[in-house]
Amino acid sequence: MTLFTKVGCEKCEYVKKAVDLDSLGVTEQRLSGDNYEALAELAYHGLVEQAQKTLPILVTGEEEVVYHAGRIRSYLQRQARA
Amino acid sequence: MLPPIKGLLESSLLEWRGRVASAVFLPGCNFRCPYCHNHGLVLKPDEYETMSLDAVLQRFDELRKWNDGVVVSGGEPTLHPGLPKLVAKLRAAGWPVKLDTNGTKPEVLAGLLELRMLDAVSMDIKAPLNPVAYRRNSGVAADLEAVATSIELLANSGIEVEFRTTVTPGLLDDREVREIRELVHSHGEGLRYKVQAYNPSDPLDPELRTTPPGEAAQPQSPTRPKHLLANSA
Amino acid sequence: MAHQATLRPVSGGSADTTDLALFVQTSQEEVAGWNPERIVEALVRETFIDRDTAVSIAADVEELIKSAKIKFLTAPLIRELVDAKLIERGLEQARKMHTRLGMPLYDVEQLITAQNKENANIPHGPEATNLTLAENIKKEYALLNVFSPEVAEAHMRGDMHLHDLGFVDRPYCSGQSIEYVKKFGLNLPNALSIAKPAKHAEVLLAHMVKFAAALQCHFAGAIGWDAVNMYFAPFLTNMSDERLHQFAQMLIFEFSQQAVARGGQAIFTDINIYWEIPDHFVNTPAIGPGGQETGKTYAEYEKEAQRFAWALFDVYNEGDGSGRPFFFPKPLVHITEKFFKTEGHEAFLEHICDVAAERGNTYFVFDRGETAKVSECCRLSFKLNDSDLNDAATPWKMRFSALQNATINLPRLAYRAEGDDAKLFEMVAEGVRLTVEAHRQKKQFIEKLLEMGEGGPLGLLTMDEDGERYLRMHRVSYLVGMVGLNEMIQAHIGQELHESEEAYRLGLKIIAHMKLVADKYGEKHDMHFVLEQTPAESTAYRFAKLDIKQFGEAARRVVKGNEELNEVYYTNSTLFNVASDNHALERVEREGRFHPLIEAGAITHVWLGEQRPPAESMANLVEKIFRNTANDQVAFSPEFTTCLDCGKTDRGLHENCAYCGSENIEGITRITGYFTKLSSWNKGKLGELKDRYRNDNAFGGSAAARAG
Repeated sequence: MTLFTKVGCEKCEYVKKAVDLDSLGVTEQRLSGDNYEALAELAYHGLVEQAQKTLPILVTGEEEVVYHAGRIRSYLQRQARA
Repeated sequence: MLPPIKGLLESSLLEWRGRVASAVFLPGCNFRCPYCHNHGLVLKPDEYETMSLDAVLQRFDELRKWNDGVVVSGGEPTLHPGLPKLVAKLRAAGWPVKLDTNGTKPEVLAGLLELRMLDAVSMDIKAPLNPVAYRRNSGVAADLEAVATSIELLANSGIEVEFRTTVTPGLLDDREVREIRELVHSHGEGLRYKVQAYNPSDPLDPELRTTPPGEAAQPQSPTRPKHLLANSA
Repeated sequence: MAHQATLRPVSGGSADTTDLALFVQTSQEEVAGWNPERIVEALVRETFIDRDTAVSIAADVEELIKSAKIKFLTAPLIRELVDAKLIERGLEQARKMHTRLGMPLYDVEQLITAQNKENANIPHGPEATNLTLAENIKKEYALLNVFSPEVAEAHMRGDMHLHDLGFVDRPYCSGQSIEYVKKFGLNLPNALSIAKPAKHAEVLLAHMVKFAAALQCHFAGAIGWDAVNMYFAPFLTNMSDERLHQFAQMLIFEFSQQAVARGGQAIFTDINIYWEIPDHFVNTPAIGPGGQETGKTYAEYEKEAQRFAWALFDVYNEGDGSGRPFFFPKPLVHITEKFFKTEGHEAFLEHICDVAAERGNTYFVFDRGETAKVSECCRLSFKLNDSDLNDAATPWKMRFSALQNATINLPRLAYRAEGDDAKLFEMVAEGVRLTVEAHRQKKQFIEKLLEMGEGGPLGLLTMDEDGERYLRMHRVSYLVGMVGLNEMIQAHIGQELHESEEAYRLGLKIIAHMKLVADKYGEKHDMHFVLEQTPAESTAYRFAKLDIKQFGEAARRVVKGNEELNEVYYTNSTLFNVASDNHALERVEREGRFHPLIEAGAITHVWLGEQRPPAESMANLVEKIFRNTANDQVAFSPEFTTCLDCGKTDRGLHENCAYCGSENIEGITRITGYFTKLSSWNKGKLGELKDRYRNDNAFGGSAAARAG
């Protein structure tokens, strides 16, 4: 799973604090003016335009996309329990 | 026993009007239309590798984003006793199915229609239903009664049906095409009838290679929505 | 720092004679007596050399002429001799400033009597050769005097390509709307007459055509028109079907005919069409006859706009007199969320797909989410930002331009990196830096020309009817293009973009990197740099040839095409190898994932070969591309063969006419973004055509049989 975030994004921080990304196998891709790897990953999933409007975005193992911090948190917490 | 799949088109705009559809091709045919360009499948099917249905279905699965259906074609699919089984498997995989046929096995069609296994059928009418014209265009002495029965069956089936004729200059003239069209519409004004130009590049009868294609009827352009008519409010 | 373009005032000089009894054929078409003072004057006027040095050089040259016993002197020859003396004395800068630009006699002869294939759009003829000669001089001028030595050398080496150097004194392309002439009429600088705002549709069209021609003289690339059907709508009320059809014909014929300016090219025109009234125009007061507001908003003209759009496509469907598609104007239909919610869209979508299948004209531009765009060129578009959307209330202000296009040669970066990732990415960044430098220099040059106002060389672009110069420099973009991403990856890791996930992901990383670097420079210099898919007609060919020369085997391993026939090329920008066997729709989707990174616009081509799919099936496909991919724009390209003997046109590319068998035929298909005749393609594009995998029947591979 991949979590797209960016610097200075409060909602992103919210998610990161609410769940332990490492233990769930979630890789964080932090978008920034220097991080072309993250941007390329975003493009790979076809999410460039969406990311301009909303972050964080989660891409699950089954290539599903989850938007909005609250929903992402819920989803990840469910994964943790499973 | 499942019929062998000898050919595959992954996605095409030409197989099923209004859809992006894939097509599987079955070998063998009871006609020998001079203009046929699938004659390899018809005459020498052993030269083609048989594809496993599982592999084919798996590939189709990857194309769910694009395809809306599967067309079963060939050769002549209704010659295979295993056809219903193949169609059932395609449906079970979630695919709408269209059948291409020359209509010589109305009992097979009836069976499939009764079980509601087909979403659409395209039937070739090679010529007006007289033995001379039909032999000229199908290469054999066709069972015209069967053909007529199939036309009737399909016209009353309630599913999406298309009748079509390939026109080869020298084998079929305008008057004959009109006759066929009238025949189709005698079963129902709204029935879809399509005339297609033949493809000179690799016909069954090599003599035809030098015949230029006719100017087949142009596809109908879509009609402008009513609310745009000049004098509507 | 950016190289200073030097423009200096003209001054006079005095004459004096010596005893060298020679005659000189001067550049003013006269024959004068030998006079070394002329050399002195020229040196002092054109360079920074002091008079004493100049006199000394003139004396040296006179010595040289005497001792060589030259009998026939021309001004150019004297100039070369002076240049030689300047070099001898180490006066490099002066030599550059004193140098003569131009072409050798032999080359001029070749040009006048043969065909120039660089631009598939230009027919042969005296205007065309004028254009080439002028372009050549301006090219040299650009490389010497507008761009810095670093940038010029990068261009000449082939590290980068500066597009349209022969048009260095112009911006590249533009997007605008007819609102400008609707509201202000036609009041062009240097025009012999002024036209008041049009009262009738036909007159408005005439204004638009004149304006387009004037614009063509001031831009190097395409002239794009926004929402054409909508903006004409207030003039089309109560028009009968017949008259509307005629009017649509007029518009298309006007823009499809060969024009006179720009070497005899047809004006490269794009018209943007909307089925719906875009949200940002819904409340915009409509301007009608006489340049007056009609009292309605554009939303209330939806019906007229739609009727016009329909009629335009009726005309496209008919083709020209011999059944060929219209090369121009290119119709770009915007597919948006709102499109699918607007009444009648199904029929319209089928109609434009009908045209796409029959003629190939239609360009489908996908505006997803709430992005709005003004499109032009084969793939260039301007994303409208918030301030632009504010301008939507006064649409004549919506004018955009790209000033220059500079393209990076990607494959050679891989040859140089020799497999080292870090080096590769570093060199990409350096490539972007060079284009940025070029853009800054171009910007400076254009600004200098603009500063001279309406009397200056770019007078039309400075005209001010609404408080702003026509060319709004604050809304200008600078394009950073790329060629051969596919070959770069292939050279770096041995696999092409379509061959593995690794190659594909690497390609995305390279482009993402380019974008971020360009963005950074943009912030630094307060300029708008955007990536673009370079149309690359001749660039892909040029780079491939240069690379074979400079890199030999390394290049040969990946260059496409046939070296023996001299038909070599690199794959266009970020596209997959044209011969790749993949499922064409999967390719569409995969190529599409690059598109959001390429802000200036991108296009995916689907080649149909000779097959003519039903409109309904195509419409189905277009909607799927909109919903399921990130593709920016799609065009379907059928191919045609026109017989020059019997005049009939048949689908597919053949060697003989299918009707009369003649070999005297012309193939027509799409070169990069626009249709043209095969006989006018340059060698690189011919090579590419041979390789193209055509979807003769379908979009996938592994077909063992073709359907009936």
